[in-house]
Amino acid sequence: MYLIFAITAGLVGGFLSIAMRLELQEPGLQYFTNPQTYNVFVTGHGLIMVFFVVMPAVIGGYGNWFVPLMIGAPDMAFPRMNNISFWLLPAALGLLLISLFVEGAPGSNGFGGGWTVYPPLSTMGHPGPALDFGILSLHLAGASSILGAINFITTILNMRAPGMTMHKMPLLAWALLVTAFLLLLSLPVLAGAITMLLTDRNFGTAFFDPANGGDPILYQHLFWFFGHPEVYIMILPGFGIVSHIISTFSKKPIFGYLGMAYAMVAIGAVGFIVWAHHMYTAGLALNTQRYFVFATMVIAVPTGVKIFSWIATMWGGSLRFTAAMQWAIGFIFLFTVGGVTGVVLSNAGLDRNLHNTYYVVAHFHYVLSLGAVFSIFAGFYYWFPKMSGRIIPESIGILHFWISFIGANVLFFPMHFTGLSGMPRHYVDYPDAFAGWNRISSYGSYIFAAGLLVFFYGILRAYLSPVRAADNPWGVGATTLEWTLTSPPPHHQFETLPRIAGGSH
Amino acid sequence: MADAHARNHDYHIVDPSPWPFVGSVSAFIFAVGAIMTMKGLHIGTLKAGPIVFGLGLLGVLYTMMSWWSDVINEAQNRGNHTRIVQMHHRYGMIMFIASEVMFFVAWFWAFFDSSIYAGEEKAFLRYEFTGGHWPPHGIEVLDPWHLPLLNTLLLLTSSTTVTWAHHALLHNDRQGLKQGLWLTIILAVCFTGVQAYEYTHAEFSFAGNIYGATFFMATGFHGFHVIVGTIFLAVCLMRATRGDFTPKQHLGFEFAAWYWHFVDVVWMFLFVSIYLWGSHWGSIVHNH
Amino acid sequence: MIAALGLLGMRRLPRLDGDLSIMTRSIIGAALSKFGAALAVLFTVGFASAALAGTGQPSPWQMNMQVPVTESAEFLGAMHNGVNIVIALISAFVLLLLIIVVVRFNEKANPVPSKTTHHTGLEIAWTLIPALILVGIAIPSFRLLTMQVQLPKADITVKAVGHQWYWSYEYPEDQGGGFTFDSYMLSREDAAKANQPALLAVDNELVLPAGKTVVVQVVGADVIHNFAVPSFGIRMDAVPGRLNQTWFKTDREGMYYGQCSRLCGANHAYMPIAVRIVSPDAYASWLTEAKKKFASLDQQNLAIASNE
Ligand code: HEA
Ligand code: HEA
Ligand code: CUA
Ligand SMILES: [Cu+2]
Repeated sequence: MYLIFAITAGLVGGFLSIAMRLELQEPGLQYFTNPQTYNVFVTGHGLIMVFFVVMPAVIGGYGNWFVPLMIGAPDMAFPRMNNISFWLLPAALGLLLISLFVEGAPGSNGFGGGWTVYPPLSTMGHPGPALDFGILSLHLAGASSILGAINFITTILNMRAPGMTMHKMPLLAWALLVTAFLLLLSLPVLAGAITMLLTDRNFGTAFFDPANGGDPILYQHLFWFFGHPEVYIMILPGFGIVSHIISTFSKKPIFGYLGMAYAMVAIGAVGFIVWAHHMYTAGLALNTQRYFVFATMVIAVPTGVKIFSWIATMWGGSLRFTAAMQWAIGFIFLFTVGGVTGVVLSNAGLDRNLHNTYYVVAHFHYVLSLGAVFSIFAGFYYWFPKMSGRIIPESIGILHFWISFIGANVLFFPMHFTGLSGMPRHYVDYPDAFAGWNRISSYGSYIFAAGLLVFFYGILRAYLSPVRAADNPWGVGATTLEWTLTSPPPHHQFETLPRIAGGSH
Repeated sequence: MADAHARNHDYHIVDPSPWPFVGSVSAFIFAVGAIMTMKGLHIGTLKAGPIVFGLGLLGVLYTMMSWWSDVINEAQNRGNHTRIVQMHHRYGMIMFIASEVMFFVAWFWAFFDSSIYAGEEKAFLRYEFTGGHWPPHGIEVLDPWHLPLLNTLLLLTSSTTVTWAHHALLHNDRQGLKQGLWLTIILAVCFTGVQAYEYTHAEFSFAGNIYGATFFMATGFHGFHVIVGTIFLAVCLMRATRGDFTPKQHLGFEFAAWYWHFVDVVWMFLFVSIYLWGSHWGSIVHNH
Repeated sequence: MIAALGLLGMRRLPRLDGDLSIMTRSIIGAALSKFGAALAVLFTVGFASAALAGTGQPSPWQMNMQVPVTESAEFLGAMHNGVNIVIALISAFVLLLLIIVVVRFNEKANPVPSKTTHHTGLEIAWTLIPALILVGIAIPSFRLLTMQVQLPKADITVKAVGHQWYWSYEYPEDQGGGFTFDSYMLSREDAAKANQPALLAVDNELVLPAGKTVVVQVVGADVIHNFAVPSFGIRMDAVPGRLNQTWFKTDREGMYYGQCSRLCGANHAYMPIAVRIVSPDAYASWLTEAKKKFASLDQQNLAIASNE
């Protein structure tokens, strides 16, 4: 259900982004006669992709399905709570979609202040009810995630099968454990921040209003205290997924298992103390900026451990290039590219010329659209046989991968160039000098979108063809518990708990 | 098929329940109603905001009630709450309180951002408003040693009475349990009453100034938690009277107690930072 | 060019029903050539930048930063070129390892997988070496940061105020100013007439002298805007109620464009910044003229402001 929800939301978010790319293909205004509508699209795209595509897919979808399987539990600890975590999402998405169609800024519909919702643009700049819908949508989505996080932590700490010690737990479970802690501790702060926005907007409070003693920068601190952990929330489950795929198709256990697990813990922990790297141009004091430069750079080290351990897992292995494996290898490389540009941005001195330019847009799409989303597709091709009992022909997954790989690079690589040469984000229109690379980017987005057709064709094929998936279609490399069950797994797996003997690590 | 196999573990596989869905729909209606009310939107000529809001709220409350009575029923009458399941609930509650703590972090962050940096000249508009110090220029704050101190004592006492009730329960002293709970609830209601009195007599308002905003938001959300905690305790009292809880199994009570201690701790932080340090008494410490 | 390479990759896609591993290898080959090329491009931008980059404004197909004209922007540009090579090498290294793995350890080449899962030496190496690289980056980074953030003694101070959706500039009285004016973007047609780049050109430029240390005070009037001029290496949020300051000093006369860099509503894309750097003499005579020209305007502004 989560996956279907994510795919549906992905279509909406994707549609908004293609509309944006159409507009940006040429300088001047082509489709958006009211520039504010473009801002609304960008905001909607960002929010939907983050809260309603990536998070439901990796946490709700794969996490919910496979964490209990992998640790040998019959279900999540609180199945009913799990259920409300899900049902809150359509409610939240509903509110967000309503938001697009009611008045926001005077004379236009929807909220167009960016997914970060900075005041005062979000307080005095949008008097209409659009943003109130947006805020309450985030409240509901946040509540859903907090409940989900509680569920994951309890499940993972408490419901491991006999013999499954923490240090034998599959990496996906580790990834979701860390992710859940990030959610649990960061989302309430966002809830607080947007509640203050709500009262500033509707009850005349002055949290972010300097004329009455408030401070707009306060909002930025609160938002990014959530926002930075949020980006790791989106990628850590991907790390877990990729680890399993790489190990399965190398027919080797994961290299440096403990290092991999604790690297994620380290990323999660350090992720809480780097937030102001999004605020280098807000006018922070020199020492504050110095600290955040230093802290941010530290994260590259545990992330590097992960990258190199994946490669070491493959080293000496016997690699099979299934669709899932190709997506996973693609992920490793593209995430590295996105990660190293993050390191460039972490230098406040360099960020001075890059902040709010397309360089940042390139960075985060490499880690999100080519990182998180690639891991989602990798996981999809890996687990689809298990989930549905059906088979998507490998060649379709591979074709989808190559179209996406090429399309996404054509789409996002040129953004580094426009960004370096100074093109700001959130621009519906731009000076003619930026036209060349923008046109290429737009072409790339059409290629990427075309890949989705292949994706859907694959699913269709799977349901039309009579071929049934084996319990373990991937052979000796697939050692986690889900492959010991039927495909699809019975409704309540592990009526008798499996016993985990010995140590594989 | 779940019936075909012998269940071989102690986990609780719950029956399908309508409440998650009903709850989400109610939350949606509640949100729409809230916005309609705040923005004064109407359907046709009817200002339907409060009605929609009320419906949503009722739905949410009804869901909570039904959901939790299902849970109590499963624990009390069906014996679904095995040791391991109780363990789950403990973890769950701890995590929930942890997230609540982070929620309060946001209010404290807002308070400290405004108070500590009230004298930052760079933020010239804020400086103008506060006069460079905290509490801001022209704000008549409450005397911390007056009602707030009383409230502190009330809450601290209530924390001991709830512990008394707990001990009584552990020793299977039903009478003590009920008395302890009664006392706690009375103290809690007194606290809320005093707080309400203080609110109506405060010289500053929620709107239009940063002092009132941070003050009312932090203490208001605390007050809300006090009310929730009181209801939680009252439910426990009802259940205790009904004969629920055993010295070995009384999670509902334990959680109410935890929650109550949490509310108490938050108050201590509020008292020390917002009432004491943030008052004229404290401004001596950071006079710009 | 990347598009062309992308198409090349597509054309080389073999038949779908072909042998999986042959197909994979050939596709990976195609992709490699594409990525090799892309990385090579990244690699050389540092050297090619002078040819491609615009001064004071972007130029078509530009791939690197605009030509720096202040000391701190030069430092910024140089440091970026350095770090860019480092990250290109790291990416290339990861890619290289992946290729080696794919070629040497595929099912055909290596049917029996090894069982190695630990190598303490390696694990220490890939923790320590990145850490050292980062320290190497951090040292110049901190110097650059200090240079940008620590304000030197100003020769001239001006104030830039961001409005929805234009900038206004204030020249203080004690430095021969005492006037304020608004700076609006020129329409595409007017920009073409003035022979200036569309969406960057404005009606009233911010005029400042060469060779002087200029401190810019940046404030927002309504929502947050951002005052950015890439070739000066400056970018500062214009926050309502908060006085942010940044500085620059350039010896090169000319026009330098920037754009509002914080989403500020509908016309965020239409409130550029144009700075004209002139000789100190020209600046002096501009001041006297401007005083006359904007004095009356100023009066009007005040009237409007007090009406509100
Ligand atoms: C999945 C999401 C994700 C991930 C994983 C990351 C990862 C990182 N991000 Fe990113 N980031 C975003 C999503 C993400 N980011 C988003 C959405 C924004 C924009 C928000 C907005 O404004 O709307 C953003 C913006 C952003 C900024 C602000 C830019 C600006 O607005 O001006 C910065 C600045 O420091 C930054 C830094 C980093 C760093 C250092 C990492 C690191 O974690 C990366 C670490 C990885 C590597 C470095 C690669 C692998 C390592 C090796 C191969 C070892 C060797 C490497 C070295 C020695 C360098 N990010
Ligand atoms: C996960 C996050 C994510 C993803 C996947 C994308 C995908 C895309 N983004 Fe997105 N983007 C953001 C997050 C994301 N973006 C954010 C946070 C912002 C900032 C917003 C702001 O500033 O407020 C942004 C801003 C942004 C801009 C900048 C706009 C501006 O500043 O003016 C542009 C411009 O081209 C853009 C384009 C695209 C394009 C063409 C895609 C294409 O890749 C889209 C193609 C569509 C798909 C690939 C569908 C994917 C489908 C699924 C993922 C479902 C799969 C599910 C299962 C298999 C279970 N995006
Ligand atoms: Cu002003 Cu963007
Ligand atoms: Cu970040």
